[in-house]
Amino acid sequence: MFPYLLRRILHALLILLGAFTFSFILLQVMPGDAITVKFQDPDLGLTPQQIAEIRLSYGADGSRVAQYFHTLTGMLRGDFGYSVQQGVPVSTLLRTTLPVTLRLAAFSFVVAILEAMAIAFLATALPFAFLRRMLAALPGFLGAIPVFWFGIALIQFLSFKLRLVPVVGAGPYEAMILPTLAISLPIGAPLAQVLLGNLDEIAARPFVAVVRTKGAGALWTLFHHVAPNAILPFLTISGLVFGELLAGAVVTETIFGLNGIGQLTQQAVAGQDVAVLQAVVMISAAAYVLINLTIDLVYPLFDPRIHLQGRTMS
Amino acid sequence: MYRRKASLSPVRGMCAALPALLVVLSASFGSAVFPAMAAEGPIQGGTLIYLEHQAHTNLYSPSGGFYPNGGILNQITDRLTWQDPVSLEMKPWVATSWEINADYTQFTFHIRPGITFSDGSKLDAAVVAENFDIFARGSKARRLPVSEVVNNYARSEVIDPLTVRFDFNTPSPGFLQGTSVIGSGLLSHATLQRSFDELGLGTHIIGSGPFVIADEIVGKEVDLAARPDYRWGPDGATRRAWLDRVRILVTPEDSIRLGALLAGQADFIRDVAAYDEEQVRLRGYMLYAPSTRGVNNALAFRPDNPLVADRRVRAALLHATNREEIVTALFSGNYPLARSVIATKAAGFEDLSRQLAFDPALAAHLLDEAGWHLADDGLRYKDNQPLALGIHFALPQPQNRTMLELIAQQWRRVGVQLNVMSGSTAGVIIDNLDPARTPLMMAEVGRADPDVLKSEFYPSNRDILLQKGGQSTKVQSFADARLNALLQAISADVNPQDRLRKTQEAQEYILDACYVIPILEEPQVYAGAPAVHGVSFEAVGRPNFYDMWLGAR
Repeated sequence: MFPYLLRRILHALLILLGAFTFSFILLQVMPGDAITVKFQDPDLGLTPQQIAEIRLSYGADGSRVAQYFHTLTGMLRGDFGYSVQQGVPVSTLLRTTLPVTLRLAAFSFVVAILEAMAIAFLATALPFAFLRRMLAALPGFLGAIPVFWFGIALIQFLSFKLRLVPVVGAGPYEAMILPTLAISLPIGAPLAQVLLGNLDEIAARPFVAVVRTKGAGALWTLFHHVAPNAILPFLTISGLVFGELLAGAVVTETIFGLNGIGQLTQQAVAGQDVAVLQAVVMISAAAYVLINLTIDLVYPLFDPRIHLQGRTMS
Repeated sequence: MYRRKASLSPVRGMCAALPALLVVLSASFGSAVFPAMAAEGPIQGGTLIYLEHQAHTNLYSPSGGFYPNGGILNQITDRLTWQDPVSLEMKPWVATSWEINADYTQFTFHIRPGITFSDGSKLDAAVVAENFDIFARGSKARRLPVSEVVNNYARSEVIDPLTVRFDFNTPSPGFLQGTSVIGSGLLSHATLQRSFDELGLGTHIIGSGPFVIADEIVGKEVDLAARPDYRWGPDGATRRAWLDRVRILVTPEDSIRLGALLAGQADFIRDVAAYDEEQVRLRGYMLYAPSTRGVNNALAFRPDNPLVADRRVRAALLHATNREEIVTALFSGNYPLARSVIATKAAGFEDLSRQLAFDPALAAHLLDEAGWHLADDGLRYKDNQPLALGIHFALPQPQNRTMLELIAQQWRRVGVQLNVMSGSTAGVIIDNLDPARTPLMMAEVGRADPDVLKSEFYPSNRDILLQKGGQSTKVQSFADARLNALLQAISADVNPQDRLRKTQEAQEYILDACYVIPILEEPQVYAGAPAVHGVSFEAVGRPNFYDMWLGAR
C-alpha cells in the first residue's frame, strides 16, 4: 500500500509541474499582457514611455526563465502573486471565490449522483416496458441540454415567474439552489448512462440467470448482485465528471452571477491576468489529481480483486 | 399576473415597429433630470438594488471614464464644481465660488467650510491642492496615471485653509469644467498615499461624497451606505441622501438583469439592449436614456494605412454607409442618428448631416476616381490588391458586432470588403495601435465640454486616428498639424464663444477630411422600477443616487 501511495504522489507532483510549465509557456506566448490591458487604456492617455516605465516597475521586463522560477517558487511558498487587473492579491480573490465554487461543485455532484441512481435504477426496475424505455432515453436527452439555456430557463420560470427563489441578492446557500439544479442534470446524465449500460450488461451475464433460477426476485437480484458489479465504471466516470463541474462553472457562474472560480477565470482570461490564470490552472490540476487519487484508493472497497500493492496495477 | 412570458426569448427586431412611442419617451427624457411620477414628496430611507453588468476595475478618480468605476465614484466623491446637466452651466459644490484670471492661467477656488471625508479628515485647501497635483502629474512611485482633463498644469498654492489657487503654463479654459467631472472626484489624503494597485479594493477609497463603501465582495457586490452627516451637496444642497443604502450587484447576463428588475428583485439596472426596451415599457417600468454628450459612436480611419490614406476612399466609404438602415434595423428611438462628430447635446455641436448622406452612386464614383476598379468577383482592386479593411468590434458598445456586420454588407455592395475581427483583450489593444492591421477603429467618448474633441483626436490623448508621435510607435508618417492646432486652440481659447466656434470649425475640418463616419448618438440606457423616484444623472449619464428615493412598491 505505502509504496503505491508514494508512487502516486510523485506522479501527481509531476503532473502539477507539467501543468504549471505548460500553462506558463502558453500564457507567455499570447500577445500582450495584463499591463497592456490595464494601462493602454485610452482613458488614461499614457505615452508609450510611461507604459514602459510601468512595465519596469512591475518587473514584467525580466527574462522569461527568471520569471518562471520566480512564479514557481512563489507558488511553492503559497504566494500566488498579484492580480494586475483587479488590484488585489490573488490569494484574496481565491479566498472569496474558491468556497463558492466548491460549495456549488459539491452540491451539484451529490445531486447529480442521486439523479443518476434514480434514473438508472428506475429504468431497470420499473414495471412497464415503455416506462423503462422512456427513462432509459432520458440521459441522452438531458445530456444534450446546453447548461446556459437550461440555467436561464430555470431562472425565468422558478425565480421570475413563480418567484420561488431570488437570483440577485440571495444568501450564500439560497444562491446555490438554481445553479445546482442547472448543472446537476447535464452532469448526472452521463453518470446515469454509464450506470444504466453497466446494469444492463451485468444483468445479461450467466451468473444473474443462475441467481434468478435459484428463486431470487428481480429487485433482490438488482441490488444484491447486479448493482455492486456495475458500480466500478460509475466511480471512474464520477471522478472525471467532478472535474467537468469546475470547468462548467465558467458558464453557470456567469449566468447566475456567482463570484466563483469560473467567473474569476473568465475575467482573468479577458484581462490576460496571468497570475490569476496560473493559480486557477494549478487549482484545477490539483483538484483533478486529488479526486482521481481518491477514487483509485476507493476501488478496492468495491472490488476486492483490485490490490493496491502494485502487482495488479502495474 | 403576467401578460407575457418574461425575456426567455425577447422578440428581437421588433424595435423597428415602435420608434413613435420611443421618440415620445426620449423627448420627455430630453432633460437629464427625470420628473418623479408620484405627487408626494421624497421619502427618506430604504435600500435600492442596482444591477451593473460589469465589475469596477479601479476607483482612482481619473479611472472614472469606465462606466462601472464612474458609477461608484459619482456616489462616494464630491467635486469642486457641479455642471448642471441641463444647461451645462458650472455651479458651486465643494467650491462655493471661484475666480479666474483674464487669460485663464490662474484659477482660485474658495472651499465650503465644514466638509469632512468619511475617515473624519477635513476637506480643506491643502488636500484639494494635493489631489490636483497628483491628477495632473501622476505618481511614478505609486503608479498613479495622469488625468486626461488636467492639461498644462504648472502648480497649486494653498492661500489660506479654505482657498486654493492653480496655475497653468498656457491658457486652460477647459479646467473649470474639468473640475466637475467624475475623474476629478476629491480623495482623502490617506487614499492618495496608496498605490494604484491598492485602489481596486473599494473599501480603500475614502471620499467626501453622500455615500461610503460599507462593504465589498470583490467582483460581485459593492454596498454603499449613506453618510448621515452629509450636508454639502451640489448647487448648495444641504441634505443627506434620501436612500439609506444602495447595493450594487454585478449581474453580467442581460436577460437576468432585466428579468430580475421586472420580477421585483431589483430596482434599477444599467445597460438595457434596444431589443429589450419594449418589454420594459409594456410592463409600465421606466426607461432612461441620458445622452453621453461626447464624440458619437463612429468608425474612425487611420490614414497612416495606405488603403485609407486617400480622402476619396474615406469619403466613398462614408457615403456607402446607410446609417438610417443601421439605426432603424438595430436600435430604437433612444439612439438618434449622428448629425456630426459630436452629439447634438454636446457643447459646440454643429449640424453637418448633409455631409453624411447615403449615396452609393457617389461612393462608386469616388472609388473609381481613386483608382479602385471593380473586378469580376464584385470587389475593387488596385495594382492587384483588393480593397479589404479590418476592424475589431468594440465589446462595450451596443450591438457593435452586428452593426459592423451590417456595414460590411453595405460596403460589399460598392465592392469594398470589411472584415469584422475579434481577439483577446490585449490582442485587440495591440492591433488597434497598428494602423497597418486596423485601418479602422470604433470610437466613442463622453464628456460635456468642447475639450472632448481634443481628448479623442489629439496625439497625446486618445489619438483615435493614430498620428506619428502619439500613442503608437507603429505609425510611419501620418500627422495632421492643422487638426492638432485646431484642437489645441479649443482647449486654450479663453473666450467661451470662440471655443464653441472653434469646436464647430474642428467638426467641419474632421468631416471634410472624412476622418470618421459618425453613426449614432450613444445613450446610456437604464431601466427603473415604478417605485424609484428622483432619477437623475450627471452630465454624461451616470446615475446620481443622491437624488433618488424609493416610494411604495
